[in-house]
Amino acid sequence: MLDVGRHPNIELMAYSEVEKVEGEAGDFKVTVRRKARYVDEDKCTGCGACREKCPTVLPDAFNMGLGERKAIYSWFAQGIPSTHTIDAENCRQLQGKKCGICKKTCQADAINFEQEDRLVELHVGAIIVASGYEVFDPSRIPEYRYKDIPNVITALEFERLLSASGPTGGHLDRPSDLAAKAQIADLEKQAKKARKTLEKFEEKFNESSSEFFKRYEGGEYEGDEERHKWADRYRDYLAVMGPLEALKERAKEFTVAKKLAFIQCVGSRDLRFYPFCSGYCCMHSIKEAIIAYEHEPETRSVIFGMDIRAVGKGFEEYKIRGGNQAGISYVRGRVAEITEGPDNHPVVTYEDTRERVVKSEAFDMVILATACAPSRGIAELAEVLGIELDEFGFFKTDGSQPMDTTRPGIFTCGCAHSPMDIPESVAQASGAAGRAAQILLGTEMRKAS
Amino acid sequence: MAKEILVIGGGIAGIQASLDLGEMGFKVKLVERLPSIGGKMAQLDKTFPTNDCAI
Repeated sequence: MLDVGRHPNIELMAYSEVEKVEGEAGDFKVTVRRKARYVDEDKCTGCGACREKCPTVLPDAFNMGLGERKAIYSWFAQGIPSTHTIDAENCRQLQGKKCGICKKTCQADAINFEQEDRLVELHVGAIIVASGYEVFDPSRIPEYRYKDIPNVITALEFERLLSASGPTGGHLDRPSDLAAKAQIADLEKQAKKARKTLEKFEEKFNESSSEFFKRYEGGEYEGDEERHKWADRYRDYLAVMGPLEALKERAKEFTVAKKLAFIQCVGSRDLRFYPFCSGYCCMHSIKEAIIAYEHEPETRSVIFGMDIRAVGKGFEEYKIRGGNQAGISYVRGRVAEITEGPDNHPVVTYEDTRERVVKSEAFDMVILATACAPSRGIAELAEVLGIELDEFGFFKTDGSQPMDTTRPGIFTCGCAHSPMDIPESVAQASGAAGRAAQILLGTEMRKAS
Repeated sequence: MAKEILVIGGGIAGIQASLDLGEMGFKVKLVERLPSIGGKMAQLDKTFPTNDCAI
Protein backbone atom coordinates (compact mmCIF):
# COMPACT_ATOMS: atom_id res chain seq x y z
CA MET A 1 0.00 0.00 0.00
CA LEU A 2 2.78 2.37 0.98
CA ASP A 3 4.67 1.43 -2.21
CA VAL A 4 1.77 2.67 -4.35
CA GLY A 5 1.78 6.01 -2.55
CA ARG A 6 5.43 6.69 -3.30
CA HIS A 7 5.94 4.91 -6.64
CA PRO A 8 7.28 7.40 -9.22
CA ASN A 9 5.14 5.89 -11.99
CA ILE A 10 1.85 5.74 -10.06
CA GLU A 11 -0.34 8.74 -9.46
CA LEU A 12 -2.88 8.14 -6.74
CA MET A 13 -6.27 9.80 -7.18
CA ALA A 14 -8.15 8.90 -4.01
CA TYR A 15 -11.64 10.20 -3.19
CA SER A 16 -12.34 10.30 -6.93
CA GLU A 17 -14.76 8.64 -9.33
CA VAL A 18 -14.74 7.93 -13.04
CA GLU A 19 -17.59 9.81 -14.76
CA LYS A 20 -17.09 9.38 -18.49
CA VAL A 21 -15.12 7.14 -20.84
CA GLU A 22 -14.85 7.86 -24.57
CA GLY A 23 -12.70 6.45 -27.32
CA GLU A 24 -11.32 3.00 -27.86
CA ALA A 25 -8.54 0.64 -26.84
CA GLY A 26 -5.22 2.48 -27.02
CA ASP A 27 -6.94 5.85 -26.99
CA PHE A 28 -9.45 6.39 -24.18
CA LYS A 29 -10.46 9.81 -22.91
CA VAL A 30 -11.58 9.52 -19.29
CA THR A 31 -13.19 12.14 -17.08
CA VAL A 32 -12.51 11.72 -13.36
CA ARG A 33 -14.34 13.66 -10.67
CA ARG A 34 -11.99 14.55 -7.84
CA LYS A 35 -14.42 15.02 -4.99
CA ALA A 36 -13.88 17.94 -2.64
CA ARG A 37 -12.25 16.84 0.61
CA TYR A 38 -12.30 20.44 1.90
CA VAL A 39 -8.71 19.69 2.90
CA ASP A 40 -5.73 20.62 0.71
CA GLU A 41 -3.93 17.36 -0.15
CA ASP A 42 -0.61 19.15 -0.62
CA LYS A 43 -0.72 20.87 2.74
CA CYS A 44 -2.33 18.26 5.05
CA THR A 45 0.31 16.37 7.03
CA GLY A 46 -2.21 13.87 8.45
CA CYS A 47 -1.37 14.89 12.03
CA GLY A 48 -4.98 14.52 13.21
CA ALA A 49 -5.15 17.66 15.38
CA CYS A 50 -8.33 18.74 13.53
CA ARG A 51 -9.93 15.36 14.17
CA GLU A 52 -9.28 15.56 17.89
CA LYS A 53 -11.01 18.94 18.18
CA CYS A 54 -13.95 18.25 15.83
CA PRO A 55 -17.16 18.29 17.89
CA THR A 56 -19.22 16.01 15.60
CA VAL A 57 -19.10 12.30 16.45
CA LEU A 58 -20.34 9.74 13.88
CA PRO A 59 -20.26 5.96 13.41
CA ASP A 60 -17.02 4.83 11.76
CA ALA A 61 -17.71 3.01 8.48
CA PHE A 62 -14.19 1.59 8.31
CA ASN A 63 -14.89 -0.14 11.64
CA MET A 64 -18.29 -1.29 10.35
CA GLY A 65 -20.03 1.20 12.63
CA LEU A 66 -18.60 -0.46 15.75
CA GLY A 67 -16.40 2.55 16.51
CA GLU A 68 -16.70 6.29 16.15
CA ARG A 69 -15.14 8.89 13.92
CA LYS A 70 -15.39 12.64 13.60
CA ALA A 71 -16.86 14.75 10.76
CA ILE A 72 -13.23 15.42 9.70
CA TYR A 73 -11.48 12.10 9.51
CA SER A 74 -8.92 9.84 7.95
CA TRP A 75 -10.44 6.65 6.50
CA PHE A 76 -8.15 4.61 8.77
CA ALA A 77 -5.00 5.33 10.76
CA GLN A 78 -2.49 3.88 8.27
CA GLY A 79 -4.47 5.06 5.21
CA ILE A 80 -2.68 6.18 2.05
CA PRO A 81 -2.95 9.04 1.38
CA SER A 82 -3.16 10.16 5.00
CA THR A 83 -4.96 13.35 3.92
CA HIS A 84 -7.99 14.01 6.09
CA THR A 85 -11.44 14.49 4.60
CA ILE A 86 -14.46 16.47 5.74
CA ASP A 87 -17.75 14.60 5.59
CA ALA A 88 -19.75 17.50 4.12
CA GLU A 89 -23.15 16.07 5.05
CA ASN A 90 -22.28 16.01 8.72
CA CYS A 91 -19.90 18.96 9.04
CA ARG A 92 -21.42 21.80 11.06
CA GLN A 93 -19.62 24.51 9.11
CA LEU A 94 -20.54 23.10 5.69
CA GLN A 95 -24.13 22.70 6.83
CA GLY A 96 -24.27 26.42 7.53
CA LYS A 97 -23.82 26.31 11.30
CA LYS A 98 -21.14 28.12 13.25
CA CYS A 99 -18.02 26.01 13.79
CA GLY A 100 -14.71 26.05 11.85
CA ILE A 101 -12.81 24.61 14.81
CA CYS A 102 -10.72 22.36 12.51
CA LYS A 103 -9.62 25.37 10.46
CA LYS A 104 -8.51 27.19 13.59
CA THR A 105 -6.66 24.08 14.83
CA CYS A 106 -4.84 23.20 11.59
CA GLN A 107 -1.27 24.48 11.76
CA ALA A 108 -0.66 23.63 8.10
CA ASP A 109 -3.60 25.83 7.00
CA ALA A 110 -4.91 22.88 4.97
CA ILE A 111 -8.65 23.29 5.62
CA ASN A 112 -10.51 24.95 2.78
CA PHE A 113 -14.30 25.12 3.13
CA GLU A 114 -14.50 26.72 -0.32
CA GLN A 115 -13.01 23.71 -2.12
CA GLU A 116 -15.14 22.30 -4.95
CA ASP A 117 -15.19 19.07 -6.96
CA ARG A 118 -12.75 19.15 -9.88
CA LEU A 119 -13.12 17.34 -13.21
CA VAL A 120 -9.85 15.94 -14.57
CA GLU A 121 -9.35 14.62 -18.10
CA LEU A 122 -7.09 11.60 -18.58
CA HIS A 123 -5.76 10.11 -21.78
CA VAL A 124 -5.11 6.40 -21.28
CA GLY A 125 -4.44 3.39 -23.49
CA ALA A 126 -6.07 0.75 -21.31
CA ILE A 127 -8.28 0.52 -18.26
CA ILE A 128 -8.25 -2.05 -15.45
CA VAL A 129 -11.40 -2.09 -13.36
CA ALA A 130 -10.83 -3.62 -9.93
CA SER A 131 -13.77 -2.12 -8.11
CA GLY A 132 -14.17 -4.96 -5.60
CA TYR A 133 -17.27 -6.31 -3.91
CA GLU A 134 -19.81 -5.69 -1.17
CA VAL A 135 -20.49 -7.82 1.86
CA PHE A 136 -23.94 -9.42 1.46
CA ASP A 137 -26.46 -7.78 3.77
CA PRO A 138 -27.58 -10.64 6.07
CA SER A 139 -30.64 -8.75 7.30
CA ARG A 140 -32.20 -10.08 4.08
CA ILE A 141 -32.30 -13.49 5.80
CA PRO A 142 -35.03 -13.07 8.41
CA GLU A 143 -34.29 -16.30 10.32
CA TYR A 144 -30.79 -15.11 11.27
CA ARG A 145 -32.09 -11.88 12.82
CA TYR A 146 -28.98 -9.84 12.08
CA LYS A 147 -29.27 -6.30 13.57
CA ASP A 148 -32.11 -7.59 15.72
CA ILE A 149 -29.98 -9.79 18.00
CA PRO A 150 -26.95 -7.63 18.89
CA ASN A 151 -24.46 -10.50 19.21
CA VAL A 152 -25.09 -11.80 15.71
CA ILE A 153 -22.46 -10.07 13.56
CA THR A 154 -20.84 -10.36 10.14
CA ALA A 155 -17.36 -11.74 9.55
CA LEU A 156 -16.07 -8.30 8.58
CA GLU A 157 -17.42 -6.81 11.82
CA PHE A 158 -15.69 -9.64 13.68
CA GLU A 159 -12.41 -8.77 11.89
CA ARG A 160 -12.65 -5.25 13.27
CA LEU A 161 -13.24 -6.59 16.81
CA LEU A 162 -10.20 -8.88 16.46
CA SER A 163 -7.98 -6.09 15.18
CA ALA A 164 -5.55 -4.46 17.61
CA SER A 165 -6.25 -1.18 15.80
CA GLY A 166 -10.01 -1.78 15.91
CA PRO A 167 -12.66 -0.26 18.18
CA THR A 168 -11.97 -2.64 21.10
CA GLY A 169 -8.20 -2.83 20.72
CA GLY A 170 -8.49 -6.50 19.78
CA HIS A 171 -10.64 -7.57 22.76
CA LEU A 172 -13.58 -9.73 21.79
CA ASP A 173 -16.16 -7.65 23.64
CA ARG A 174 -19.70 -8.59 22.70
CA PRO A 175 -21.65 -5.86 20.90
CA SER A 176 -24.42 -6.07 23.54
CA ASP A 177 -21.80 -5.43 26.25
CA LEU A 178 -20.31 -2.56 24.25
CA ALA A 179 -23.78 -1.03 23.94
CA ALA A 180 -24.33 -1.40 27.71
CA LYS A 181 -20.97 0.25 28.42
CA ALA A 182 -21.85 3.15 26.10
CA GLN A 183 -25.18 3.47 27.93
CA ILE A 184 -23.36 3.52 31.29
CA ALA A 185 -21.09 6.32 30.05
CA ASP A 186 -24.12 8.27 28.85
CA LEU A 187 -26.04 7.80 32.11
CA GLU A 188 -22.97 8.78 34.13
CA LYS A 189 -22.79 12.02 32.18
CA GLN A 190 -26.46 12.69 32.97
CA ALA A 191 -25.94 11.78 36.65
CA LYS A 192 -23.01 14.18 36.93
CA LYS A 193 -25.09 17.00 35.48
CA ALA A 194 -27.99 16.19 37.80
CA ARG A 195 -25.65 16.11 40.83
CA LYS A 196 -24.32 19.57 39.99
CA THR A 197 -27.86 20.98 39.96
CA LEU A 198 -28.61 19.33 43.31
CA GLU A 199 -25.40 20.71 44.82
CA LYS A 200 -26.61 24.25 44.19
CA PHE A 201 -29.80 23.58 46.16
CA GLU A 202 -27.85 21.80 48.91
CA GLU A 203 -25.52 24.77 49.30
CA LYS A 204 -28.39 27.20 49.42
CA PHE A 205 -30.44 25.30 52.01
CA ASN A 206 -27.46 23.71 53.74
CA GLU A 207 -28.68 20.13 53.85
CA SER A 208 -28.33 16.98 51.75
CA SER A 209 -30.87 16.29 49.02
CA SER A 210 -31.79 12.88 50.46
CA GLU A 211 -32.53 14.30 53.94
CA PHE A 212 -34.57 17.10 52.41
CA PHE A 213 -36.46 14.74 50.14
CA LYS A 214 -37.56 12.54 53.09
CA ARG A 215 -39.13 15.54 54.79
CA TYR A 216 -40.58 16.83 51.53
CA GLU A 217 -42.25 13.47 50.98
CA GLY A 218 -43.55 13.73 54.54
CA GLY A 219 -45.58 16.75 53.51
CA GLU A 220 -43.36 19.59 54.70
CA TYR A 221 -42.75 22.61 52.47
CA GLU A 222 -46.16 22.60 50.86
CA GLY A 223 -46.50 25.63 48.59
CA ASP A 224 -42.73 26.27 48.61
CA GLU A 225 -42.03 26.70 44.90
CA GLU A 226 -38.26 26.48 45.09
CA ARG A 227 -38.21 23.34 47.23
CA HIS A 228 -40.77 21.87 44.88
CA LYS A 229 -38.24 22.38 42.07
CA TRP A 230 -35.51 20.79 44.20
CA ALA A 231 -37.68 17.72 44.77
CA ASP A 232 -38.33 17.45 41.03
CA ARG A 233 -34.61 17.61 40.26
CA TYR A 234 -33.97 14.96 42.92
CA ARG A 235 -36.57 12.70 41.31
CA ASP A 236 -34.80 13.19 37.96
CA TYR A 237 -31.53 12.22 39.60
CA LEU A 238 -33.04 9.04 41.06
CA ALA A 239 -34.51 8.15 37.67
CA VAL A 240 -30.99 8.20 36.22
CA MET A 241 -29.28 6.46 39.14
CA GLY A 242 -31.65 3.47 39.25
CA PRO A 243 -30.88 2.13 35.78
CA LEU A 244 -27.24 3.22 36.08
CA GLU A 245 -26.64 1.11 39.20
CA ALA A 246 -28.47 -1.86 37.65
CA LEU A 247 -26.37 -1.62 34.48
CA LYS A 248 -23.13 -1.31 36.47
CA GLU A 249 -24.08 -4.43 38.41
CA ARG A 250 -24.66 -6.28 35.12
CA ALA A 251 -21.39 -4.97 33.65
CA LYS A 252 -19.43 -6.72 36.43
CA GLU A 253 -20.32 -10.02 34.73
CA PHE A 254 -19.07 -8.95 31.28
CA THR A 255 -16.23 -11.04 29.87
CA VAL A 256 -14.82 -11.44 26.38
CA ALA A 257 -16.67 -13.83 24.04
CA LYS A 258 -15.23 -17.31 24.33
CA LYS A 259 -17.88 -19.50 22.76
CA LEU A 260 -18.27 -18.69 19.10
CA ALA A 261 -20.50 -20.02 16.32
CA PHE A 262 -19.56 -19.42 12.69
CA ILE A 263 -22.36 -19.87 10.16
CA GLN A 264 -21.27 -20.57 6.58
CA CYS A 265 -22.97 -19.79 3.27
CA VAL A 266 -24.91 -16.74 4.45
CA GLY A 267 -26.35 -15.49 1.17
CA SER A 268 -24.24 -17.79 -1.00
CA ARG A 269 -25.18 -21.32 -2.09
CA ASP A 270 -28.68 -20.15 -1.26
CA LEU A 271 -31.15 -20.15 -4.14
CA ARG A 272 -33.02 -17.21 -2.59
CA PHE A 273 -29.93 -14.99 -3.07
CA TYR A 274 -26.71 -16.13 -4.74
CA PRO A 275 -26.40 -19.72 -5.97
CA PHE A 276 -22.60 -19.50 -6.28
CA CYS A 277 -19.99 -20.40 -3.66
CA SER A 278 -18.13 -17.26 -2.55
CA GLY A 279 -15.03 -19.36 -2.18
CA TYR A 280 -13.16 -17.65 0.64
CA CYS A 281 -15.67 -17.73 3.53
CA CYS A 282 -14.81 -21.21 4.85
CA MET A 283 -11.22 -20.12 5.13
CA HIS A 284 -11.89 -16.77 6.79
CA SER A 285 -14.13 -18.41 9.40
CA ILE A 286 -11.32 -20.86 10.23
CA LYS A 287 -8.84 -17.99 10.35
CA GLU A 288 -11.06 -15.89 12.61
CA ALA A 289 -11.57 -18.83 14.97
CA ILE A 290 -7.80 -19.45 15.09
CA ILE A 291 -7.04 -15.77 15.78
CA ALA A 292 -9.74 -15.65 18.49
CA TYR A 293 -8.12 -18.71 20.07
CA GLU A 294 -4.72 -17.03 19.93
CA HIS A 295 -6.21 -14.02 21.77
CA GLU A 296 -7.90 -16.20 24.39
CA PRO A 297 -6.94 -19.90 24.71
CA GLU A 298 -10.25 -20.76 26.38
CA THR A 299 -12.07 -19.94 23.11
CA ARG A 300 -14.14 -22.74 21.61
CA SER A 301 -15.57 -22.33 18.12
CA VAL A 302 -18.09 -24.32 16.13
CA ILE A 303 -18.17 -23.86 12.37
CA PHE A 304 -21.56 -24.81 10.87
CA GLY A 305 -21.43 -25.58 7.18
CA MET A 306 -22.68 -27.88 4.46
CA ASP A 307 -19.05 -28.76 3.75
CA ILE A 308 -15.78 -26.97 4.40
CA ARG A 309 -14.23 -25.89 1.10
CA ALA A 310 -10.51 -25.59 1.79
CA VAL A 311 -9.33 -25.51 -1.81
CA GLY A 312 -5.98 -23.78 -2.11
CA LYS A 313 -2.34 -24.10 -1.31
CA GLY A 314 -1.93 -24.98 2.37
CA PHE A 315 -5.67 -24.51 3.06
CA GLU A 316 -6.63 -28.08 4.01
CA GLU A 317 -3.70 -28.25 6.43
CA TYR A 318 -4.85 -24.96 7.92
CA LYS A 319 -8.34 -26.37 8.46
CA ILE A 320 -6.98 -29.46 10.21
CA ARG A 321 -4.64 -27.38 12.35
CA GLY A 322 -7.62 -25.26 13.42
CA GLY A 323 -9.44 -28.39 14.54
CA ASN A 324 -6.49 -29.93 16.33
CA GLN A 325 -4.86 -26.91 17.88
CA ALA A 326 -7.32 -24.00 18.03
CA GLY A 327 -10.46 -25.40 19.65
CA ILE A 328 -12.52 -25.55 16.45
CA SER A 329 -15.15 -28.22 15.79
CA TYR A 330 -16.83 -28.56 12.42
CA VAL A 331 -20.54 -29.41 12.32
CA ARG A 332 -22.15 -30.51 9.07
CA GLY A 333 -25.51 -28.84 8.86
CA ARG A 334 -27.24 -25.68 7.81
CA VAL A 335 -28.41 -23.42 10.62
CA ALA A 336 -32.18 -23.04 10.49
CA GLU A 337 -32.71 -20.25 12.97
CA ILE A 338 -31.06 -17.97 15.50
CA THR A 339 -33.02 -16.84 18.56
CA GLU A 340 -31.98 -14.90 21.62
CA GLY A 341 -31.53 -16.59 25.01
CA PRO A 342 -30.85 -15.07 28.45
CA ASP A 343 -28.04 -12.48 28.81
CA ASN A 344 -28.03 -11.69 25.08
CA HIS A 345 -26.75 -15.14 24.19
CA PRO A 346 -27.71 -16.06 20.62
CA VAL A 347 -29.15 -19.58 20.38
CA VAL A 348 -28.43 -21.52 17.20
CA THR A 349 -30.89 -24.20 16.03
CA TYR A 350 -29.57 -26.62 13.44
CA GLU A 351 -29.69 -30.18 12.23
CA ASP A 352 -26.52 -32.14 12.80
CA THR A 353 -26.75 -34.14 9.57
CA ARG A 354 -24.17 -36.69 10.70
CA GLU A 355 -26.28 -37.62 13.71
CA ARG A 356 -29.60 -36.70 12.06
CA VAL A 357 -30.66 -34.84 15.16
CA VAL A 358 -32.04 -31.31 15.50
CA LYS A 359 -30.16 -29.44 18.20
CA SER A 360 -30.04 -26.01 19.84
CA GLU A 361 -27.02 -24.45 21.45
CA ALA A 362 -26.31 -21.05 23.04
CA PHE A 363 -23.17 -19.07 22.15
CA ASP A 364 -21.52 -15.83 23.27
CA MET A 365 -21.45 -14.57 19.71
CA VAL A 366 -22.53 -15.74 16.25
CA ILE A 367 -20.47 -14.76 13.20
CA LEU A 368 -22.10 -14.86 9.77
CA ALA A 369 -19.86 -15.82 6.83
CA THR A 370 -21.56 -13.42 4.41
CA ALA A 371 -21.50 -13.87 0.66
CA CYS A 372 -19.39 -11.85 -1.75
CA ALA A 373 -21.98 -9.64 -3.49
CA PRO A 374 -21.40 -7.29 -6.45
CA SER A 375 -20.42 -3.84 -5.22
CA ARG A 376 -23.00 -1.10 -4.91
CA GLY A 377 -22.72 1.11 -7.94
CA ILE A 378 -21.25 -1.59 -10.21
CA ALA A 379 -24.17 -1.22 -12.64
CA GLU A 380 -23.57 2.56 -12.93
CA LEU A 381 -19.83 1.98 -13.37
CA ALA A 382 -20.51 -0.64 -16.07
CA GLU A 383 -22.64 1.92 -17.89
CA VAL A 384 -19.92 4.58 -17.68
CA LEU A 385 -17.35 2.08 -18.97
CA GLY A 386 -19.70 0.68 -21.59
CA ILE A 387 -19.23 -2.92 -20.46
CA GLU A 388 -21.67 -5.70 -19.60
CA LEU A 389 -22.45 -7.47 -16.35
CA ASP A 390 -22.97 -11.20 -15.88
CA GLU A 391 -26.10 -12.87 -14.48
CA PHE A 392 -25.04 -12.18 -10.87
CA GLY A 393 -23.99 -8.57 -11.41
CA PHE A 394 -20.21 -8.94 -11.66
CA PHE A 395 -18.35 -7.82 -14.81
CA LYS A 396 -18.96 -10.20 -17.68
CA THR A 397 -15.91 -12.11 -18.88
CA ASP A 398 -15.16 -15.09 -21.05
CA GLY A 399 -13.46 -18.28 -19.86
CA SER A 400 -10.78 -18.20 -22.54
CA GLN A 401 -9.91 -14.53 -21.89
CA PRO A 402 -10.76 -14.23 -18.23
CA MET A 403 -9.33 -10.72 -17.71
CA ASP A 404 -11.11 -9.16 -20.71
CA THR A 405 -14.43 -7.37 -20.26
CA THR A 406 -16.88 -7.02 -23.14
CA ARG A 407 -15.14 -3.83 -24.38
CA PRO A 408 -11.66 -4.12 -25.89
CA GLY A 409 -8.99 -2.36 -23.84
CA ILE A 410 -10.89 -2.66 -20.55
CA PHE A 411 -9.83 -5.47 -18.22
CA THR A 412 -11.01 -6.63 -14.81
CA CYS A 413 -9.56 -8.52 -11.85
CA GLY A 414 -10.33 -9.34 -8.22
CA CYS A 415 -13.83 -9.53 -6.77
CA ALA A 416 -15.24 -7.21 -9.44
CA HIS A 417 -14.63 -10.21 -11.73
CA SER A 418 -16.14 -12.83 -9.41
CA PRO A 419 -15.78 -13.88 -5.76
CA MET A 420 -12.18 -14.81 -4.93
CA ASP A 421 -9.62 -14.69 -2.13
CA ILE A 422 -6.52 -12.53 -1.82
CA PRO A 423 -3.96 -14.84 -3.53
CA GLU A 424 -6.31 -15.24 -6.51
CA SER A 425 -6.95 -11.47 -6.67
CA VAL A 426 -3.20 -10.85 -6.72
CA ALA A 427 -2.67 -13.43 -9.48
CA GLN A 428 -5.53 -12.00 -11.53
CA ALA A 429 -4.23 -8.46 -11.04
CA SER A 430 -0.91 -9.48 -12.55
CA GLY A 431 -2.83 -11.09 -15.42
CA ALA A 432 -4.86 -7.94 -16.03
CA ALA A 433 -1.68 -5.83 -15.83
CA GLY A 434 -0.16 -8.07 -18.51
CA ARG A 435 -3.17 -7.66 -20.76
CA ALA A 436 -3.18 -3.86 -20.31
CA ALA A 437 0.55 -3.74 -21.11
CA GLN A 438 -0.10 -5.67 -24.33
CA ILE A 439 -2.48 -2.91 -25.49
CA LEU A 440 0.11 -0.22 -24.92
CA LEU A 441 2.87 -2.27 -26.51
CA GLY A 442 0.64 -3.04 -29.47
CA THR A 443 1.03 -6.80 -29.10
CA GLU A 444 -1.70 -9.43 -29.33
CA MET A 445 -2.64 -12.07 -26.80
CA ARG A 446 -1.91 -15.45 -28.35
CA LYS A 447 -4.16 -18.19 -27.14
CA ALA A 448 -2.54 -21.39 -25.95
CA SER A 449 -5.35 -23.50 -27.30
CA MET B 1 -1.34 5.66 -28.68
CA ALA B 2 -1.79 6.91 -25.12
CA LYS B 3 1.08 6.14 -22.78
CA GLU B 4 -0.84 5.80 -19.53
CA ILE B 5 -3.06 3.16 -17.94
CA LEU B 6 -6.01 3.79 -15.69
CA VAL B 7 -6.71 1.47 -12.77
CA ILE B 8 -10.11 1.86 -11.10
CA GLY B 9 -10.24 0.64 -7.49
CA GLY B 10 -7.52 0.76 -4.84
CA GLY B 11 -8.06 -2.60 -3.14
CA ILE B 12 -5.58 -5.45 -3.22
CA ALA B 13 -6.29 -6.21 -6.91
CA GLY B 14 -6.00 -2.59 -8.07
CA ILE B 15 -2.88 -2.02 -5.98
CA GLN B 16 -1.18 -5.13 -7.36
CA ALA B 17 -2.08 -4.27 -10.97
CA SER B 18 -0.77 -0.70 -10.48
CA LEU B 19 2.49 -1.87 -8.93
CA ASP B 20 3.08 -4.43 -11.69
CA LEU B 21 2.50 -1.82 -14.40
CA GLY B 22 4.51 0.82 -12.55
CA GLU B 23 7.44 -1.57 -12.26
CA MET B 24 7.17 -2.38 -15.98
CA GLY B 25 7.68 1.33 -16.61
CA PHE B 26 4.14 2.35 -17.51
CA LYS B 27 2.58 5.47 -16.03
CA VAL B 28 -0.47 4.56 -13.97
CA LYS B 29 -3.38 6.59 -12.64
CA LEU B 30 -5.03 4.80 -9.73
CA VAL B 31 -8.54 6.07 -8.98
CA GLU B 32 -10.16 5.17 -5.63
CA ARG B 33 -13.67 6.16 -4.55
CA LEU B 34 -12.89 6.29 -0.81
CA PRO B 35 -10.52 8.73 0.96
CA SER B 36 -7.69 6.15 1.15
CA ILE B 37 -6.66 3.02 -0.73
CA GLY B 38 -6.58 -0.43 0.88
CA GLY B 39 -10.08 -1.68 0.16
CA LYS B 40 -11.61 -4.57 2.07
CA MET B 41 -8.22 -6.12 2.75
CA ALA B 42 -7.21 -3.17 4.93
CA GLN B 43 -10.22 -3.94 7.12
CA LEU B 44 -9.02 -7.47 7.77
CA ASP B 45 -7.01 -8.22 10.87
CA LYS B 46 -4.96 -11.12 9.50
CA THR B 47 -4.97 -13.18 6.29
CA PHE B 48 -5.15 -16.96 5.78
CA PRO B 49 -3.39 -19.36 5.68
CA THR B 50 -0.30 -17.65 7.10
CA ASN B 51 -1.97 -15.35 9.66
CA ASP B 52 0.07 -12.45 8.31
CA CYS B 53 -1.08 -8.91 9.03
CA ALA B 54 -3.33 -7.58 6.27
CA ILE B 55 -1.83 -4.08 6.09
